[in-house]
Amino acid sequence: MDIALQLLFTGIGIGAVYALVALGFVLIFRATNVVNFAQGEFSMVAAFLMVVCAVDLELPYWLSFLIALGGMALLGMIFNLGVYYPLRHRSFLPVIISTIGASIFLANATLALYGPQPQVLPGWFETPGIQVGPVYLDSQYLLIIAVTIVLVAFQYWFFEHTLIGKKLQATSQDKEMASLLGIPVARMIMITFIYSALIGGIAGILVAPVLFVSIQMGSSIALKAFAATIIGGFGDVAGAIIGGLALGIIETFGAAYISVPYKDGFAFLVLVLFLIFRPQGIFGERVAEKA
Amino acid sequence: MTLLAIKDLIVRYGEIEAVHGLTLDVDEGQVVTLLGSNGAGKSTTLRAISGLIAPAAGDILFDGKSIAAHSPEAVVRMGISHVPEGRRVFPGLSVRENIMLGASNRSGGAGVLGREADEMFELFPDIRPFRDALGWTLSGGQQQMVAVARGLMAKPRLLLLDEPSLGLAPVIVQAVFRIISEIRRRGTTVLLVEQNARMGLSVADYGYVLESGRLALGGKPDELWGNEAIRAAYLGGGQAAARV
Repeated sequence: MDIALQLLFTGIGIGAVYALVALGFVLIFRATNVVNFAQGEFSMVAAFLMVVCAVDLELPYWLSFLIALGGMALLGMIFNLGVYYPLRHRSFLPVIISTIGASIFLANATLALYGPQPQVLPGWFETPGIQVGPVYLDSQYLLIIAVTIVLVAFQYWFFEHTLIGKKLQATSQDKEMASLLGIPVARMIMITFIYSALIGGIAGILVAPVLFVSIQMGSSIALKAFAATIIGGFGDVAGAIIGGLALGIIETFGAAYISVPYKDGFAFLVLVLFLIFRPQGIFGERVAEKA
Repeated sequence: MTLLAIKDLIVRYGEIEAVHGLTLDVDEGQVVTLLGSNGAGKSTTLRAISGLIAPAAGDILFDGKSIAAHSPEAVVRMGISHVPEGRRVFPGLSVRENIMLGASNRSGGAGVLGREADEMFELFPDIRPFRDALGWTLSGGQQQMVAVARGLMAKPRLLLLDEPSLGLAPVIVQAVFRIISEIRRRGTTVLLVEQNARMGLSVADYGYVLESGRLALGGKPDELWGNEAIRAAYLGGGQAAARV
């Protein structure tokens, strides 16, 4: 039982990272009807920015974090202008290929600039963790969970209780109608990309001390997050969060009780089961369109 | 006074020319109805006015200034609000939020716009009980009310209405046209596109008939309606109209 609680804590921690990256997928998908296959690379680039600032340049951790966030906002902006905007009137396929191209470019540009060795990013806190009863709470996992809760709460408030949030929702539901009302559609999509790059980046920075910072970290996180969005119901915000957490918990328990080498396999086994038996996901088809 | 003037308008979708040299005027304070069969170019004309499609040639003057090839965002800021065919209510937003967003062409905080949206329910009492319902849960008639209310939130000088009666039960169609009359009474100019000629002309000060992307004729409603040949050729005939 104690071990189960411990595993649950770790699973929620890693699941929170998947949830954040999944949120990035969902927001861009809702705004542009396209899956951004470079979403994982946002996490990888942000983690490398942290390594450059906090480890190589030995800047304070909080300053490195702010610089990395600034870099991610800029990357989101450039990504929108370079990868999405020129293709916005085309079908979804050219845009998807464009995001795959961007993902390969970002991974290889990082490889060219930084080399293939995995890097280590220290955690935010000096204290490694605290013992609460039978469970040892690792400080980095606590931070991940806390930041995820704050971000999800912020996002809920932003989308549901601000006028600009409503305009973002309107844009994602019907771009042409939004433009007829005077909503600046191009600016709304720009905001979506910047926001998605930021939450992807935050996820990468949070998970970096738990994993190694490597070129491949982006694609492995993105695959899990992508699975999480499908399990949750594609395009659904709550589904992305639930799907991410569920996946983190399942893979942690699977690794502990069944097999460590097959850890990644459990996530995809769940994905395959969902695709066969409930392809619309947990929250799929909640909003149907009436003629 | 002429509020909207369309001069020799040509609109193409790729190779296909949908409007070939259309010229017409809309006077301030009037309801002007564009009639015509499917594919006559009525919706395309409205889409060109609101900036959804750039004209290939010709000009569109609003209040004397050219708005041809302006972006939709710029056109609605100048005071032209387009309620498109199919209503296009945002499915995942509530009725009240849909209506509030109609004011996106002007400044105003959520508080002010929320109050204005609440006032809008006085003109549309039928949808007041559904103010917090999501757009997709509404019936076609309710969606049409929301779409018109949202269009009015822009405080337009010119309201473009595309097929507001499409797919609605007769009693709902009557309600929609009562609202159009009320909008006119409050001083907003309306350019209405309709296939339902009888209803379309019943509220109009002037009517135009489009045929294959060209202006076939124009006149006052009773002139158009009184002409047997015109009625048979362009307005679906007396029998079809009598069923409405």
